[in-house]
Amino acid sequence: MVAKAQRLPVPPPQDSVAASEVSLYRNLLKIKDEHALRDLGISFYDAETTVQWSYNADAWFHAASTMKLAVLLGVFREVDRGELALDAPVHVRNRFTSIVNQEAFMLDLGRDADPDVYGHLGKTLSVKELAYWMITKSSNLATNLLVDVIGIPTIQLALDELEIHGIKVLRGVEDQRAFAAGLNNEVTAHGLLKMLRLIAEGTAYSQEACDEMLDILLDQQYRSGIPAGLPKAARVAHKTGNISTVHHDAGIVYLEGRKPYVLVILTQFPAEQGRGTAVAEVSRDIFNTLAGVVYES
Amino acid sequence: MNHDEAEPGLKVVDAFDLDDELRSLLKPGELLRDELGRRHRLPRYFYEIPSHEIALNMRLTSHFAMNELVLNDLREAPRLQQWPRYIPCAVRILANYLEQFRAAAGASVHIAVNGGYRSPSHKHSQYASAHMWGTAADVYRIGSTILKTRDAIEKYNEIAEDVSDEIRVLPYGHDVGKNADDHVHLDLGYVTLVPREISEDRMEQPQEHRPRFAFEERRRKERRAVVAADSET
Repeated sequence: MVAKAQRLPVPPPQDSVAASEVSLYRNLLKIKDEHALRDLGISFYDAETTVQWSYNADAWFHAASTMKLAVLLGVFREVDRGELALDAPVHVRNRFTSIVNQEAFMLDLGRDADPDVYGHLGKTLSVKELAYWMITKSSNLATNLLVDVIGIPTIQLALDELEIHGIKVLRGVEDQRAFAAGLNNEVTAHGLLKMLRLIAEGTAYSQEACDEMLDILLDQQYRSGIPAGLPKAARVAHKTGNISTVHHDAGIVYLEGRKPYVLVILTQFPAEQGRGTAVAEVSRDIFNTLAGVVYES
Repeated sequence: MNHDEAEPGLKVVDAFDLDDELRSLLKPGELLRDELGRRHRLPRYFYEIPSHEIALNMRLTSHFAMNELVLNDLREAPRLQQWPRYIPCAVRILANYLEQFRAAAGASVHIAVNGGYRSPSHKHSQYASAHMWGTAADVYRIGSTILKTRDAIEKYNEIAEDVSDEIRVLPYGHDVGKNADDHVHLDLGYVTLVPREISEDRMEQPQEHRPRFAFEERRRKERRAVVAADSET
């Protein structure tokens, strides 16, 4: 619940920024301690005030499902270049090959979040539908199908072309051979922030392609991260990432009457502890800092 | 034959009469090596399928429509994803074996996308495979059983082999092209079919003043029979 204004209409005076930063820094350390986080990485950029702030933003984290943002980018690189059509059909098949030794593997569909995709086994879904389920329901099957279509090198090329250095995509999802060989997808808060800024500003690819990506991101169905720390009226184009020891969220926050801000929160916690509410609390603190409003507890 | 029965049957084309792009994608008459290095000549005579709707309604047998055997995804060459599409005439033989397999299995047989005809330009087409002749099918589901376990695949492999000595299946396993782990692959080998309506005395180049295609007359009766049977239910 928001006690005061839900808008962020006025940029804070220049002389208040430093004070806000100190306050924010203290609050974040408190959250880190309270949740016994092993690691925390944050980066945000506010298009309204042009304030950019970060904490530990060049530290590498296991990407978890935030790597799907890079897959989305790779897909739209191909779409933008006319190499791939959004309505092109893709065979939905649960069979992939490891990047390490070409050994076949299948996803554990019981763990996948999206029956909407594996309900089409043997049939087709369009590239756009797969991209939609990959992001909005974090479908691992849709992700691997798209990785198969465009290839890991294209994803990395898309990142390199846009000079996004804080994201490494080496493999698809559940490639256990690659995992055992130490090949993991990793992200930094700065890397994800840069990617989302390019999408939000419509400069990653054509405006149309960026708008398509934003539309998909805005339909995100998992809202326990950044959105949980915001007023209900806020619209967030984002992608979460969760595995046993990490909980991330990276998104673009749209509030009425002001330009959006881009926020990335990466957290790592002890396996025995389980996922808490740290991401939502950080999101709330950053919103409060930018808004100058206070939440009721 | 009555004039009101003048509905054309399946249109047969000699792929050498198709445009340059289609010829380069379908590679009629070209020799292709299989995984053991043996060479096989690709088919030359194709059915031309004008539209998706026609493919859906064009039955090859009682339970198999043309659509099921021309279904590909973006791994097929873009031009070959457009209509009209082309499929080797031997697909008709395959459909008859599939019908027998369906009866033996006692349940509906579902062919996967990319599991029927694949052109030599398809991204899955590394070596000569019967899919390029229209004489192979990858079945991903039988009745309500999704074929993904060794038990299920071996069970239906055995049934397929019992249908006819002409049918070859791939054993359960994980090596692409040598075995299968998420479907039953069955094929008839490198069978080509020359419809009786077409003349083979033609050069391997387009010929402006010669007929470019024929219609298979014999298909009409069967198609009418299916419609009549359907209308009774």
